[in-house]
Amino acid sequence: MVGITASSAAEISARPGRRTVASVVIRWAFIGVSLGFLAAVLLAPLAAVFTTALGEGVAAYFRSFADADTGAAIRLTLFTAAIVVPLNTIFGICAAWAIAKFEFRGKAFLMTLIDLPFAVSPIVSGLVYVLLFGAQGWFGSWLLEHNIEVIFALPGIVLATLFVTFPYVARELIPLMEQLGNDEEEAAMTLGASGLMTFLRVTLPKIRWGLIYGVILCNARAMGEFGAVSVVSGHIRGLTTTMPLHIEILYNEYAFVGAFAVASLLTLLAVITLIVKSLMEWQASRASGN
Amino acid sequence: MSITLDQVTKQYQGNPVVNDVSLAVAEGEFFVLLGPSGSGKSTLLRAIAGLTAADHGRITLFGRDVTQVSAREREVGFVFQNYALFRHMTVGENIEFALRVRRVKPAERARRRKELLDLIGLPGMDDRLPTQLSGGQQQRVAVARALAHKPKVLLLDEPFGALDAKIREELRRTIRSVQRELGITTILVTHDQEEAFALGDRLGVMNLGRLLETGRPTELYTRPATRFVATFLGAANLLLRREARSGSDLAPARAEGETDGPLQDRRDQEVVAMLRPEEAELAPDRDALLTAFLGYGHVEELQFTGALERLRIRMGTEGAARSGDSETSAMPPVWIDVSRTQPEQRAFPLASGQRVAVGTRRIHVLPTPLSSFTVCAESRDSAARLMENPWLVDLTIRMQTRLSAQVEPLVADAGASPVVAPAGVAVVTAGPDCPARVRRLLARGVTPVLCLPEDAAPPSRVIVHFAGQVARRSTLAVTASLLRHVPAEAVFLGILPGDSSERTRTAGLRQLLDVRSEAQAGHGLDVRTELRLGERIEELLRELEAQPGQMLILGLPEPGSLPDSFEALLTQSPGWPVLLA
Repeated sequence: MVGITASSAAEISARPGRRTVASVVIRWAFIGVSLGFLAAVLLAPLAAVFTTALGEGVAAYFRSFADADTGAAIRLTLFTAAIVVPLNTIFGICAAWAIAKFEFRGKAFLMTLIDLPFAVSPIVSGLVYVLLFGAQGWFGSWLLEHNIEVIFALPGIVLATLFVTFPYVARELIPLMEQLGNDEEEAAMTLGASGLMTFLRVTLPKIRWGLIYGVILCNARAMGEFGAVSVVSGHIRGLTTTMPLHIEILYNEYAFVGAFAVASLLTLLAVITLIVKSLMEWQASRASGN
Repeated sequence: MSITLDQVTKQYQGNPVVNDVSLAVAEGEFFVLLGPSGSGKSTLLRAIAGLTAADHGRITLFGRDVTQVSAREREVGFVFQNYALFRHMTVGENIEFALRVRRVKPAERARRRKELLDLIGLPGMDDRLPTQLSGGQQQRVAVARALAHKPKVLLLDEPFGALDAKIREELRRTIRSVQRELGITTILVTHDQEEAFALGDRLGVMNLGRLLETGRPTELYTRPATRFVATFLGAANLLLRREARSGSDLAPARAEGETDGPLQDRRDQEVVAMLRPEEAELAPDRDALLTAFLGYGHVEELQFTGALERLRIRMGTEGAARSGDSETSAMPPVWIDVSRTQPEQRAFPLASGQRVAVGTRRIHVLPTPLSSFTVCAESRDSAARLMENPWLVDLTIRMQTRLSAQVEPLVADAGASPVVAPAGVAVVTAGPDCPARVRRLLARGVTPVLCLPEDAAPPSRVIVHFAGQVARRSTLAVTASLLRHVPAEAVFLGILPGDSSERTRTAGLRQLLDVRSEAQAGHGLDVRTELRLGERIEELLRELEAQPGQMLILGLPEPGSLPDSFEALLTQSPGWPVLLA
């Protein structure tokens, strides 16, 4: 086997249905490269987060959560997500329904619009809100007169997060709804079900796995959003700092354990998201497969 | 009547998918809508169920006008091709869905569920999920689900489409027996003629959005009125038969050819004849035939398919009717498909290339006046240009008929031998000389005549107007025959003088409606009517110029006469196709 030249090895490997030395080597080479790359780029930083967070011991790790500002940041993040995720779930279902089930003028435009938050830099999305609602913005003076705070306050953070996380649910549902078609809904209609009943009894159960996955992704992004929120929040400690912003503040103050402890929470969220996602996909394939 | 459709029309992006379909289905009847894919049959079924809104027309279920009623209130059972079972519900929950929606008590629901599962032959399958069932079982469940709320009408959209042959046949029996047992009015949509014959009390054949013919399976098979039905329901040889002096004579219905030069000095009567492969008889010699002799031919293809043997016979030029005719050599060959049973094969074994005499047990003549098309032009060039018109080519392919050309000078010089008048439809180029050409043809007894601009586009709207006081029967026949082959909407346009009295108007409208009902009764063709007031030619021109892609069928007041005033319709540029009949 040693005597095989490169060209004849390639020739042998090109023959279908035959496992040759060359094909085995190539296969392992590819797998090795992919795994190595993943380890270097993804796993190493992940491990670094946890080792640094636990660097001064478990006690120090948990002590960092006792800090009042850290607690406030966690609460603000949860609160924002609690508003944003349900809203975007409803908007997402509506948009996906409209796009997947109806033919109308401007459908392609709507699709593009849904993708806009993906394309626009988060900083820009944040700046847009400052431009609209900031003190010098279009509605700034009006808001000031009525004593309503948007920028550097909770509403601004919610709006910016809403904008950035809008595509997740819709993007997840559109291909799913298009693939599943309209037959079950039509069948329900001929059997006498009303629109609402059709949605609750037929459509929702049909798309539930995709929907849950979209919601989880939306939630992960809502909690982890940095750029847009950074622009509109004003970094008022204990008031308008979300978890990612708080991590940055701590890090800049050289409070590494505190910074990485909070970071480890976000990382855990990501890991849980991925695990749930795998579960969903397994469930979905079990539900649709024979 | 339990299901009545009245001029139901559905358009997608301006193209009629369902084109003026009128139909009545009797109570308890099993009606099968048959047609190729894209013929509009599924759209029509969905319109009956209320899943697709009709653009025009009326749908009545058991005397109740449901045109504007939503699908959920129509009380029909609908079965989809891909089952459309609720995949997250069990079989039992699927079947109970309609009852649950109607808030039926659990005990009653369970009773009905059991009854239905027994009916479709799947007792005890309540707790399975649809994905755990085979395709055939899933479709049975879908049928049971559609019947749960005791609908008065059952609609099935290609229910066997996704199943393999064995299961298909089994399910077909189940559906037939369920339908008989419940006596429920049923419409089934399919593209499979075998399925249609096996199930239907009555069939309706659709093509290009039109309902072409309805009738009992045997009627439609043995006596179709249209080429499409003849060839779609089983195999058929379509032959052009000339009833000339020397007897009848066959020409290919499909091939193209040129026949210029003298033939006989009278116009032949040309008809379209249908010969089913099983109605042909083969024998070694003419005298050995038990049936009417058609001609001699050679076996060109021979195929064994189990019960039947399929042959393709290339008919020779030595047919009895043809003998001694100088024209024969120019004729393109005719092929005839023949199928023979085992006993026939044993009685007269055949090999490829063998010479046989062909006889016919039964030939059916289609009642269509558009037998073939002959382009009549003064030069070969203009004939060739007209023969390349995409619409004309497309039309002849759809009609499976012949398109040939005949070249003769517009002003025949006295010395030349008179050229025989073309059979079938004469096609001439529209333009300034057109009226003269038309008159020449009409004078020789040629109708219908089609005036076609060389660059005419396929029409999407056909205007039918009668030049005379009455709608002649032949005009209606030509109209019906043409409309069955073009995917266009059609309208009977009546025009009365602008100053006509109320009584004249009423009479005119009534006359128009009479024409409509005559077309419907005589040809199964439903066409809309419109009445205009004004000067006749002006109104027609305005109508034709209003939008491109229209054509006119002009009913001549009497055979062979074209009133001078109508010449203006033939000489416009850019023009439109005008069919004079």
